Amino acid sequence: MQLNQRFGLTMIIATLLVMVATVYILFDYQRDNRAELARAQGLDLVRLLGGMSWDELVPRPGRKGFLEILRQGQSNPDFAYGAVVGIDGKVATEVTRSGVIVPPGDIVDEPTNWLGQRVLTADNAERQQHFIESYAPLFEAGVHRGFVRLGYFQPEFSLSQYEMPFLATLMLPIFLLVPLFYFMLRREIRPLKHISERFENLAEQVGFNQVELQPSQALSDFMEQFGSYIEATQTRIEALNKEHDDLTMSSKLLTYKNNRVDAILQNFPDAILVIDEAGEVSYANGKIERLLGVEPQAILGKKTREWCDDPKIIPLLTLGDVKSNLQANQDTVQVRFDDHSEKSVQFNVYPLFVPNDETRILGRLVVVRDVSESHLMRQRQTEFISHISHELKTPLNVLSMYSESLLTEGADNEEYRIEAVNVIHDEVERLSTLINNLLAINQYELGGVVAQRKHVRMHEFLEDAFKNITQARGDKELEYDLDIPREMSMVYIDKDLFRIAINNLLTNAIKYSKPGGTVSLSASESEDSIEIVVSDEGYGIAESDIKQIFNKFFRSTDDNIRKQTGHGLGLSLAHQIVMMHHGDLSCTSEPGKGSQFVIRMEKVSNQIIDAAAS
Amino acid sequence: MKRIVIADDEPHVLRVLKLSLEKEGYAVDTCANGKEALARLEQEYPDILITDIQMPKMTGEELCLHIEQHMPDRNFLIFVLTSRTEIEHREWSREIHNLLFLEKPVSIRNLVEKLNGYFAGMTDSWRIS
Repeated sequence: MQLNQRFGLTMIIATLLVMVATVYILFDYQRDNRAELARAQGLDLVRLLGGMSWDELVPRPGRKGFLEILRQGQSNPDFAYGAVVGIDGKVATEVTRSGVIVPPGDIVDEPTNWLGQRVLTADNAERQQHFIESYAPLFEAGVHRGFVRLGYFQPEFSLSQYEMPFLATLMLPIFLLVPLFYFMLRREIRPLKHISERFENLAEQVGFNQVELQPSQALSDFMEQFGSYIEATQTRIEALNKEHDDLTMSSKLLTYKNNRVDAILQNFPDAILVIDEAGEVSYANGKIERLLGVEPQAILGKKTREWCDDPKIIPLLTLGDVKSNLQANQDTVQVRFDDHSEKSVQFNVYPLFVPNDETRILGRLVVVRDVSESHLMRQRQTEFISHISHELKTPLNVLSMYSESLLTEGADNEEYRIEAVNVIHDEVERLSTLINNLLAINQYELGGVVAQRKHVRMHEFLEDAFKNITQARGDKELEYDLDIPREMSMVYIDKDLFRIAINNLLTNAIKYSKPGGTVSLSASESEDSIEIVVSDEGYGIAESDIKQIFNKFFRSTDDNIRKQTGHGLGLSLAHQIVMMHHGDLSCTSEPGKGSQFVIRMEKVSNQIIDAAAS
Repeated sequence: MKRIVIADDEPHVLRVLKLSLEKEGYAVDTCANGKEALARLEQEYPDILITDIQMPKMTGEELCLHIEQHMPDRNFLIFVLTSRTEIEHREWSREIHNLLFLEKPVSIRNLVEKLNGYFAGMTDSWRIS
């Protein structure tokens, strides 16, 4: 439906509503007027009649009474009845309009209420009728004889045929005026339609030209001003849009830069804290949680003492007032946490200066670094060097003593001289082996060792290695058990390297065995793999140590282990050698009961290597 | 004759020291570990104890600490042979009196001079700076 049609329909409905309302108001007004007239007229008449005598009002038989005269002279169309009733309520005389029955009415006892008005309802056969009744007392010779009652129809909301012409006359101008107003209004609002279209265009960000209208002069002036206003508004909107776009772009750029800086700081390998002039944390990246055990969001805006209770850390982060540390210095301190015995944290504190003014400080930048690994590595290296020093100096000591004693003893003691030379030779060998091991370790780490693989008979190889070790170190009251099947597949290994691995495992098994224990070497073969097992009944390895035993320089803190000479290289070397052969070296152990080291080699991989080699 | 007990798990060291010191006129008892040495000390105090640190069964450190704790009347000097020069490796000996470190490799001549000086009352000759 078109806008105009809708508008026309609305106009018709509105007109009808106006007409209905007009009729209603008119009739309501009429009804009120009629009721008022009935009340006023009724009261006046009963007062007048009340001043007459009983006899005047009650006619003798065959004569017309005063009430009949009243009825006939009554011009009010709402007059319904007139009656004279005795004090017993009995009707003495009555006059009524056609079809009306005088409604029964209670006799008023109180003299003060003898004069009054009331609304009575009478039920006749057709319908219920309501009357406005006025009543007054009647006296005869000063004696109260009864009442005179005059009733008028209570006006109702009704339309009589007599009123139709009046209503038609009233409605006609309304019917005529409405279309007239409608067309005038349409003519006047036509320019507004154009404006509406322009507004739509504006809303769609489409430019528009000056509104071209030919309305009335007043509207034309208004439209001209309105058009100017719209044009100015459009210009302003465009400027604001541009500013908005610029701001949005700047905001995006800032957000991007901020996110980028934040991403850099978050991905920084170390924890970063920024402490402002008030000594409160103004920034903390995510690493802080891992290093100090606090959530970054939880410490923002807090002073150090509010989130940290570690007496070692507090002084590092609260070096007095920030202003008292104006000089550009770096403070690096290592803190070992009591509850994280393996964690060492290094604090680097840098003052943050105001740009271009190194005399004013904004706060402090604290870089917290986890140095546990390097600290542990340094510790192990120190320990390693210490062990190596011992291992080197022990043969050196023997060499020194024998060579020195040769000067005194050897000159005239041939037997001693031979002994000394042999000892010196052995110790030189020992030194050489140690140095070679050190070099080997170094070479493995640099990737300079290439396995020289050959097909090796497992039974002979393991038996030989076992005998050599047990004979050389068989002085510890131990049982030795060798269990290797005579028929085993040949393996494709670097014999010399693999021997080092087996030797190291056996040496450890003997070294860390308790007297009376058993050290065993066994091997087994399945369809696709070979297993070599070295086991002992020694001190065992703590569960926490097992995952570290293949790390270079690692030595257990167990006192029983510490008593033995070692430098934390044997297992690391064995592990590297097995890995070079694409095998796997694993360990199971129970403290106090012993350990079991298992080398597992895939036979398939040997074949592949074999094929690749050929 | 002054009596010296030497504890070392390295038999060659024991052999050379015993030979050299006996030639200097000392009576030398050799022990393969701290436990053996302790047994000797409990029998009779020597005039000098020379001990290595890393030994099986009982280390030199354990031996010295035991002596300090259980032999308050001991009157002999202890020489500890060590290959470690770092101060932190000597921390354990801080509370033990009459204990000196001799760094490996040990010069026999130097050791003999120190012993002779000690017994001659020339304490400066064996003081280690």
